[in-house]
Amino acid sequence: MWGRTLQFLPDKNTREGLLPWVIGVMLFLCTLSLVSALAIGAGLDRWSEGLTSNFSVQIAVQDSTERAAQTDAALRLLRATPGIESATVLADAEILELLSPWLGDMTANTSLPIPTLIEVRLEAEAVVNTEALSERLKATAPGSQLDDHQAWMVQILDLAAVVQSLLGGVVAMVLLSTIAIVIFGCRTGLATHHESIEIMHLMGADDSTISRAFDIRYMSHGLKGGLFGVLLATGTLWLLSSLAERMGQGLITASITDTPHFLWLALLPLLSALITMFTARITVRRALRELM
Amino acid sequence: MITFENVGMRYGMGSEILTDVSFSLERRSFHFLVGPSGAGKTTLLKLLYLAHRPSRGLVNFFGKDLATLEREALPRIRRRIGVVFQDFRLLEHLTAFENVALPLRLQGAKKAQVSDHVEELLCWVGLEDRMHARPATLSGGEKQRVAIARAIINKPDLLVADEPTGNVDAEMSKRLMHLFVALNKEGTTTVVATHDEGLVKSVGAPILRLEKGQITREPGGSPIDPGA
Repeated sequence: MWGRTLQFLPDKNTREGLLPWVIGVMLFLCTLSLVSALAIGAGLDRWSEGLTSNFSVQIAVQDSTERAAQTDAALRLLRATPGIESATVLADAEILELLSPWLGDMTANTSLPIPTLIEVRLEAEAVVNTEALSERLKATAPGSQLDDHQAWMVQILDLAAVVQSLLGGVVAMVLLSTIAIVIFGCRTGLATHHESIEIMHLMGADDSTISRAFDIRYMSHGLKGGLFGVLLATGTLWLLSSLAERMGQGLITASITDTPHFLWLALLPLLSALITMFTARITVRRALRELM
Repeated sequence: MITFENVGMRYGMGSEILTDVSFSLERRSFHFLVGPSGAGKTTLLKLLYLAHRPSRGLVNFFGKDLATLEREALPRIRRRIGVVFQDFRLLEHLTAFENVALPLRLQGAKKAQVSDHVEELLCWVGLEDRMHARPATLSGGEKQRVAIARAIINKPDLLVADEPTGNVDAEMSKRLMHLFVALNKEGTTTVVATHDEGLVKSVGAPILRLEKGQITREPGGSPIDPGA
């Protein structure tokens, strides 16, 4: 990638000293945004996967005899439908427990009419046309109501998509800002080392020889900054993950600590090094073309 | 080897600094470039060491027309030209040794070869004790000798020197001129810009006189210094 490198630039340049730190902070923000976007995506995938593998059928009929008859009819239809693994009627106690977050402890007051709830589990990979099934259920048990969670899941998925897009936008903006900072740093470097560059140019150094000296320097800045930013972000994510775990937010913790995400994190310093190196190369070569 | 035909040079929209300059430098020739301050000597030297393209006219380097040469071809030609700048232009963070080694390293010379050549030349110019000193710690004369050593280390086909003896004593000045003449005899075409009439007479080489942007050629006289 570099061939023979003739390093003619000074080892240290105080004006470039802050560059790795700035790149580090940018990579920190980029990593947090990226991991958050990935975590939301992975969490929702897992969550929606759980929800799409089951649905419920509610039989809301006042008369208990009629309700029992419609329940039996619905169960027969469901169990005969291909792709359905099981259809089970939930006990009243289980229904009351499900309702307790909204209506409180109702064990003492069972006079309230409670609908029958059938929990339906689908076979793995099975695809059931819930719309057609709902119509067939209505024909068999008019008091039935199929709930495949679509109504509110679509809204949550839409919201998640918006949040993911925003986070993607943040990642793009941070990366573009990093590139802009590197371009600015490079131009400062070119101005600082203008004399050395001109001498090398007049001695017969071609553009690639001169730009390689910058490539190596800026790649090193990018790598250092990338490592700093990613280490800081990893620490922050670990802290957030621990806090979320203590609070019982399994959806968040499970997604953040997923192994594929950590592999992504390991690649970010390398990505940062490559971005800074190529940005520096392009900037320096463009500037050199202005010389004869 | 190098020819200028009706060359004109102006910076931006300014007036012409060089007007219809025509001359040729034959292989192994030695010329002094003289003229009053502001006559355009520095500009002509810049054209000679390929820092600028002329605004008009034909320039031919080593049989190649500059107007038709691609930018990518210029570094190869520049490597055949050694330049001694009036203000030395050494890289301040490199040692004398590293500065002199740069042209050889640009040509891809082996480390041992670089080391041998650079040490030998620095000894020759009397800097054997200052090889690892940085320019900031060198005197004006020492810097000048480092600059000269850097310009001639790879035995260039063309040597362009701007006031190369301006900062050294008479003895070192004589020694450096001997070096230039010796290089010239080995095949390096040499152009030395100077205000030092004594130096010009001592070598007795032809003179390119630049006045008000125009050049005239004067034949050389007999050298005063028989060694030169």
